[in-house]
Amino acid sequence: MKPLSGIRIADFTVHAAGPFCTHMLSQLGAECIKIESAQRPDIFRKPHAVYGRAGPASFDQVASNKLSVRLNLKHPQGIALARRIAALSDVAAESFRAGVMSRLGLGYDALRAARPDIVMVSISSSGQSGPDSHFAGYAPLFGAWGGLGYLTGYGDGPPVEMRHVMDHSVGMNAALATVAALHQRRRTGRGCHVDVAAREVASSIAGDALAAASAGVRLKRMGNADPQRSPHGVFATREADRWLSLSVSDDREWAALAEVMGRPGLAHDPRYARADARLAARDAVEALVAGWSAQVEAEEAARKLQAAGVAAHVSWRAADIADDPHMQARRAVVDVTEGDGRRRKAVGFPAIFSHGDAPAIERGTPGLGEHEDYVYGELLGLGQAERARLVDDRVIY
Amino acid sequence: MQQDYPLSGIRVVEHAAGVAGAWAGRLLAAMGAEVIMIEPPSLSALRREGPMLPDGSSALFAYVAAGKRSVVCDLASTEGRGALAELLDDALILIDDTPLAERGALGLDQARIADDHPDLVHLSVLPFGAAGPKAGWKATEINLIHAGGEGYLLPNGLSADLFPERPPLKIAGHFAEMQGGVAAALSALAALWSGQGQYVDASVQDANVAVGAFALQRHGDGSVEHRHTRSFRYGGVIECRDGHVELLTLEERQWQGLVRLLGSPDWASDAALADPAERSARGTELNRAIRDWARGQEVEALVARAQELGVPMARYNTPEQVIAGAHETARGIFQPVRQSLGTAMMIQTAPFRFGPDAPRIARAAPEPGTDQELVTACQPARRVIA
Repeated sequence: MKPLSGIRIADFTVHAAGPFCTHMLSQLGAECIKIESAQRPDIFRKPHAVYGRAGPASFDQVASNKLSVRLNLKHPQGIALARRIAALSDVAAESFRAGVMSRLGLGYDALRAARPDIVMVSISSSGQSGPDSHFAGYAPLFGAWGGLGYLTGYGDGPPVEMRHVMDHSVGMNAALATVAALHQRRRTGRGCHVDVAAREVASSIAGDALAAASAGVRLKRMGNADPQRSPHGVFATREADRWLSLSVSDDREWAALAEVMGRPGLAHDPRYARADARLAARDAVEALVAGWSAQVEAEEAARKLQAAGVAAHVSWRAADIADDPHMQARRAVVDVTEGDGRRRKAVGFPAIFSHGDAPAIERGTPGLGEHEDYVYGELLGLGQAERARLVDDRVIY
Repeated sequence: MQQDYPLSGIRVVEHAAGVAGAWAGRLLAAMGAEVIMIEPPSLSALRREGPMLPDGSSALFAYVAAGKRSVVCDLASTEGRGALAELLDDALILIDDTPLAERGALGLDQARIADDHPDLVHLSVLPFGAAGPKAGWKATEINLIHAGGEGYLLPNGLSADLFPERPPLKIAGHFAEMQGGVAAALSALAALWSGQGQYVDASVQDANVAVGAFALQRHGDGSVEHRHTRSFRYGGVIECRDGHVELLTLEERQWQGLVRLLGSPDWASDAALADPAERSARGTELNRAIRDWARGQEVEALVARAQELGVPMARYNTPEQVIAGAHETARGIFQPVRQSLGTAMMIQTAPFRFGPDAPRIARAAPEPGTDQELVTACQPARRVIA
């Protein structure tokens, strides 16, 4: 059994952050029923030209494993069916703007009436309360609101926008809060309404800087620099657009780096031997490293540095990750077979469990409505004639 | 803790020198777990990590250790390992980020913990995990953001336009390590849910590959991104008279709202622009017009008008603006906390909540050994205080 076997999720989430939350939980073994409508499918099932790309952005990854049903939430009978699905579920997850679920008749109180101990998870840009709760937003806006975007950037440049990693970080946090809420339910018998505001996830990631600022510290964008470490950065190698990230945390590591660079004397050079001296001479130190790195092959240099005890890694592209024996050994990268036999690489769960069945992607992307026999037939007990009528009436639609 | 939180009654022992492990513990503490840090006699390395406060202490530590307890023990000693065993007897989760090669000497190897505490969830948090060819590799934040694939793709948008020759750029702070912490905490709670004591091997690199999942998917379908080309075709970071805003329109009605926000200029009335693909193809031209127009705008009024028109736009808030934000204040996400040296600061309590109110932090980050009475071994007279 997987860790969350037996947990069922009524999944109303769309776009990126919400579906990533339920994607994590489904890999852990929860049964996830994705509720969509042909009238208004998950907007990530379709392409968005603003990304400059013909296909959908991420649907395959986050929809994997999930069961799909069509349900028209603009029809009163659709709402009634949604409540029946919720009544059979431990968790209801949604990512509409604050207030939409209540207007649909699917707010926390309504779902709790259907299932008294339900854990409802609401993921939104700004949370379920507060003056901005109606704001629309996407990952770059979350980062902007939360301070993370302002703090990221070259020292002499503008702020930097966060991309999908920000959405997915929100989803990962929401998955964590959901499992915590389930623990509370197990202990007390009570469900709750989990409120995850994406901008608050962004600010939590910048929480050390925000805490410092609240105590009067003025913080600026600092590019790749680190307050305590030099050398510390991303260095060009002899291969075009192939970069080496490198971080020296103490004098012993500096000596090891000097050795790998073929300049052991730098370990004893009073200008650089101690951490405070290297910080004071940051530009000169990093110019020394850059002069060396420009001559080396990136992966070989990273291996040598690691063997010498220096933190280093090549700036990896997707191809590096896809083909990496370490990632494959950990099943952090897996092969998924779609219903049509097509195989693709996907990202697996980011941890290995010593007991029970491993978290995994068992199925590829579901077709819209692919699992209605199971959900409407087996779980809800609707007969064929009733289902046909609901299809004709555009309730199952 | 008086209030009932999701993890009330759960004891967690944390032995973490890095942000990922400490952040896993911090999130569990925010949800009500009693998290006891075991610090070595040299004290937590995180107490020495920036950003630093005017009083010389670490703001990072103040943030990631808020709500926790501290016991100082030398796990290299028999006495220290005895104290560890005492704490683990009452704990459900152990978080450890000790490098693999050093675990045996500290009594933290997988087999020993499993033998002595079979019901415990033993959560290992390492940069590249505890299994696989790179399990022994070391990394700090900058290595991990690049090992996970996102580093190579940053910056994009305006920064990439302005500085195309510069090296890739990390996200500020400890983004990658915190992803590892969140994934690790999720994994530990899932293992605990299963009811089976076990070893959970979390990898910060894996967590970052997971949140960067689009990159792998794009690799598979042949639409690989590069930081120089993954900018939004139009929108993105926009400079205004008094700061920067972020603008992103994905849906048709949002584009129409943007046209109204711009004052329905002549160029936007071009019928061809009704087609999203055409807008995408002419994104550079659109962005030139948007950027020219925005330079005369004031951020606050612009953002308010944009949101009224349904145009997703946000101000790039400074840290001070986040802390003093009307929305953040209304939601109470920051809690005033006075540190042991007297410094007053605002700490974000958690990235989520379990009802209308934000969780509260039970206590400021502890002084070393504040909770030494939790163990009978490692008595105060013998411990080393900084």
